[in-house]
Amino acid sequence: MTQRRFPIFLLILAVASGGIVLMGYWVDLPALAAVRSVLLRWAATLTGVAVLVGILNLLYVHWLKIVQPREGGVYSLAMLIAFVITFLVVAVDTPTGSWSVWIFRYIQLPVETSLLAILAVLLVVAVARLVVRRPDSFTLLFVGTAILLLVAATYLPGFDIPVVRSLRDWIVQVPVVAGARGLLLGIGLGVVATGLRILLGADRPYDR
Amino acid sequence: MNLANWLSPPVLGLALIFIFIILYLFFRYRSFNNKQPSDLLRFRELTSLHQLLQSLGRALESGKGVHLSSGSGGVSGIRGASGLTGLMMLSRIVLKSAKNDRPPQATSGDGILTALAQDTLYQAYTAAGSLRNFDPTQGQVAGITPFSYAAGAMLAAADHPLEANLLAGHFGPEAALIAEAADRSAQLTIAGSDSLPAQATLLAAADEVLIGEELFAGGAYLQADPAHQASLAAQDALRWLIILLILTGVTLKLLGML
Repeated sequence: MTQRRFPIFLLILAVASGGIVLMGYWVDLPALAAVRSVLLRWAATLTGVAVLVGILNLLYVHWLKIVQPREGGVYSLAMLIAFVITFLVVAVDTPTGSWSVWIFRYIQLPVETSLLAILAVLLVVAVARLVVRRPDSFTLLFVGTAILLLVAATYLPGFDIPVVRSLRDWIVQVPVVAGARGLLLGIGLGVVATGLRILLGADRPYDR
Repeated sequence: MNLANWLSPPVLGLALIFIFIILYLFFRYRSFNNKQPSDLLRFRELTSLHQLLQSLGRALESGKGVHLSSGSGGVSGIRGASGLTGLMMLSRIVLKSAKNDRPPQATSGDGILTALAQDTLYQAYTAAGSLRNFDPTQGQVAGITPFSYAAGAMLAAADHPLEANLLAGHFGPEAALIAEAADRSAQLTIAGSDSLPAQATLLAAADEVLIGEELFAGGAYLQADPAHQASLAAQDALRWLIILLILTGVTLKLLGML
């Protein structure tokens, strides 16, 4: 019986909280605004807790990879050592201290930037592979537009062709904007549908 | 009163929500009372999701796994919807592959999304009658910043031979790194996101891409409960209404009435 009651309680909690926050956009009542404000503050706190939960889960998964030896376990060990060092430095030096900032500036930032650089190379390779794998009209349109936009955005001496630049401006201002708005409208409808399904209790991802 | 002032964003938003709820209830309860599926609930074919269903069947035979990346968007705000859609797809994946020797893996870049993924796995294994196959570490956080998440998910995607790798959630352009890593280990990589930069990069890097709202149609196509099919039908009807509104607005503007 308890097992049956608990999901119903969660359902009521989720639907009521969502409904109150949503109603606050249209109904201007001081009591409703106060409850809405409390709920939003709880949500902000929970978002912070989510980061902590995420870190704990990350540590647990990598710990398991070390104690149950498997391929790549050495990377998990490196991750745990890096975590412990970073945690100690930030705890002692405070998050804005010089050592903490040094770790961020000279370790985390270069590593993430190098991934961004790899991404640029990888996309060129992926586009070349796409042409081989799916040589249809959509691929040609995609690749052709990408090349045209790149050429028009590059300022090479002796390569300033006004027609190319005008074509690029027209593509960016008309078909690209229209297409992006169309996609965003579809995504917006999908987001609304997902949110309302949860508010109506049809989707219950919390229902264990 | 000026028509443009009357049709303010809050009024349009409220109208949209009410119309959606009415359409949803109509499709949910009227169409499903009929024994034959209504024509209103016949959707166009989405090749990518059809291929995903086929690859789930192949995964059972080959003993290879399935990996789902649900992104780093969390569950709150606009970004959360795509992550929740990814979780629903995870539930369908588990129901279809619960007896597989290699259980599905789910990685995300957010603690709450991971907790919900573990709950989803638990529910799906319970529904499939294979609770002994459930392992909470099947749902794990791969990293807590977008690029660290991509790096962690790349490892998870390339860790074992995969039948399918599904990216369904909020990503940035770094999603291409995950798709590329999965390309080496997975037979099929299907990707969908609510972010336009991610969709653009995934178009080049993934085998199949869910464009625009196609990601949110995943529930209905993966044979989830009637609520998802009714929701998709309501979504489609609303899209036509919005098209009609845009055309009316353009006409009124041209006539100088707006």
